[in-house]
Amino acid sequence: MAEVQTVSRRVFWLVPLALLPLPLLLNPYQLFVAELVLMYVPVGVGFNVVVGNLGLFAFSNVAYFGIGAYVSGILMARFGLPWWLSVLPAGLAGALAGLITSIPALRGVRLFYLAIMTLAFGELMRWVYIRWEPLTGGSMGMSVPEPTLFGWPLDGARKFYVLLALAVAVVTTTDRLLASRFGRAFMAIRGNEIAAAAMGIPTGRFIVAGFAWGGFVVSIGGTMYAALIGHLSPDSFNLTELVLEFAIIMVGGLGSLLGSVLGAALLTTLPQFFMSLPGSEELAFGLLIILVILFLPRGLASLLAQLHPIFQDRYLRE
Amino acid sequence: MLPQLLVSGVANGMLYALIALSMTLVYRATTVLNFGHGDMAMAGAYAGLVFLGFGLPFVVAVPLALLLLFVLGFLVQRFLLRRIMQGPHLALATMALAVGYALRGVARLRWGNQVLNLPRPYPAGAFSIGSVVITTDAVVMCGSVLVLLGVLLLLFRASPLGRTIRAVFQTERGAALVGINVPLLHGMMWGAGAALGAAGGILLAMVVPLTPDMGEWVLVRGFAAMTLGGFGSLPGAVVGGVLLGVAEEVLGFYLNTVFINITAYVVTILVLMVRPRGLFGRRALIRV
Repeated sequence: MAEVQTVSRRVFWLVPLALLPLPLLLNPYQLFVAELVLMYVPVGVGFNVVVGNLGLFAFSNVAYFGIGAYVSGILMARFGLPWWLSVLPAGLAGALAGLITSIPALRGVRLFYLAIMTLAFGELMRWVYIRWEPLTGGSMGMSVPEPTLFGWPLDGARKFYVLLALAVAVVTTTDRLLASRFGRAFMAIRGNEIAAAAMGIPTGRFIVAGFAWGGFVVSIGGTMYAALIGHLSPDSFNLTELVLEFAIIMVGGLGSLLGSVLGAALLTTLPQFFMSLPGSEELAFGLLIILVILFLPRGLASLLAQLHPIFQDRYLRE
Repeated sequence: MLPQLLVSGVANGMLYALIALSMTLVYRATTVLNFGHGDMAMAGAYAGLVFLGFGLPFVVAVPLALLLLFVLGFLVQRFLLRRIMQGPHLALATMALAVGYALRGVARLRWGNQVLNLPRPYPAGAFSIGSVVITTDAVVMCGSVLVLLGVLLLLFRASPLGRTIRAVFQTERGAALVGINVPLLHGMMWGAGAALGAAGGILLAMVVPLTPDMGEWVLVRGFAAMTLGGFGSLPGAVVGGVLLGVAEEVLGFYLNTVFINITAYVVTILVLMVRPRGLFGRRALIRV
């Protein structure tokens, strides 16, 4: 039984393979949107590890995202590092931010208290970008040099493949993490933290690990932002961005890796149709989230799970 | 300089107090933290603008706007939240957030990002007592909030409705057992919270520009005031709001102007780290 499962899940490798010809098929604008989707995959995956798998209301995701983007951008623009060398430092900075934001959770701050506090942290970071002008360019933002990979300019199809590789790496490593004892501990903590601790699970350590991994992964998304957008401004990392990221995991499916990917794909492409009418995007997102909560509380992933058992999530049990 | 800072700080703080109080009412009655509350305040201000646009006088337009928001809050509770009341906290909070987000979208669809103002029904001006300059805005702000607080206090302490509400605050099951229609009261409290928030939004839109994004600013300060005063405490919300307003002004002047913007965040984080129950809150119990 288990053997059949592991073999058949390899089918998922067909997804990135099927995406390989995309740069040939899409026009530059469509390719850009596809790259945005790839960027939001790690952002959603990291967010979902903390909120969905650990079950903690930590809304500092946009802070990790911004930190990743700014560390990457600053290393490139102020220190002359090529983009690919800035990915790991930015990820580590995000992991550090994850560690810091796990401190209140370790001290027993939970539920709405944790939500408000982490939200405040994210907004505070925005003021750091605004006020640390020599490094960040302040509220006017900063331009990021063209990204390069081993000296080659990262453009066109090359950029798409690099981002695709990063997104796939994030999804597969997170999948391994969730299948390991970490994932099982997350599930136990999500189910009942006190019971988990009573069974001998060092809950604190796993909470820190979950936050750090979430911060690391989301910051990778931030470096992709720096490479993709080329301009960083504090306003890009505000509460509206946070709502978008939250909608990704909410609509995709809380605690589901597949859900994060689906949510990123849907909610990144959807706004492209609303660009011309300011406000329509927010209205559509609001209504979409309301409908999902009312009629599809486990998100789009649960729809797929009904189609075929291969889509069933191994780490999410109510 | 300090007396001047105190005066303007208290004036802002009264507004925060009103917002925090309206959020606390909803939170105490239904244990849902309304993450869309700021947007409801924003919607209230726009509703006031619309009614004023019909040529209605201020004293008619504002009560109509509050009534509209009462109905909106009631409907949100009745048709969206009541269906998932038994569900996880996250779904409830997200529902409130999504409603607020949709409201923001509606406002932006209709008015775009143009900066509007609610015309003051009184002359804008200032007078001075000694070296302290007091604007009419500050007087109106403090006056309106104090009147609203007084009315609420009377309702709460000395009316049958207030007794009912207090019974629900104490124990929902007990209240239901003695014949109180708890779900109806939940809806009413959402309505009341939205209407009070709208009052805050209208007061705010008379002194600062009205944009669809006003809600965020309101929400963050409401959270900070609630946290500082102690989550769920009604007097705490008022005291927390006033203290927050004063702290913004004082820190902004003596330390760095950035504190006018970040005090709310800093206060939220510090209070929850050092003394999670705030000034007047009770220690939260975790049921195993």
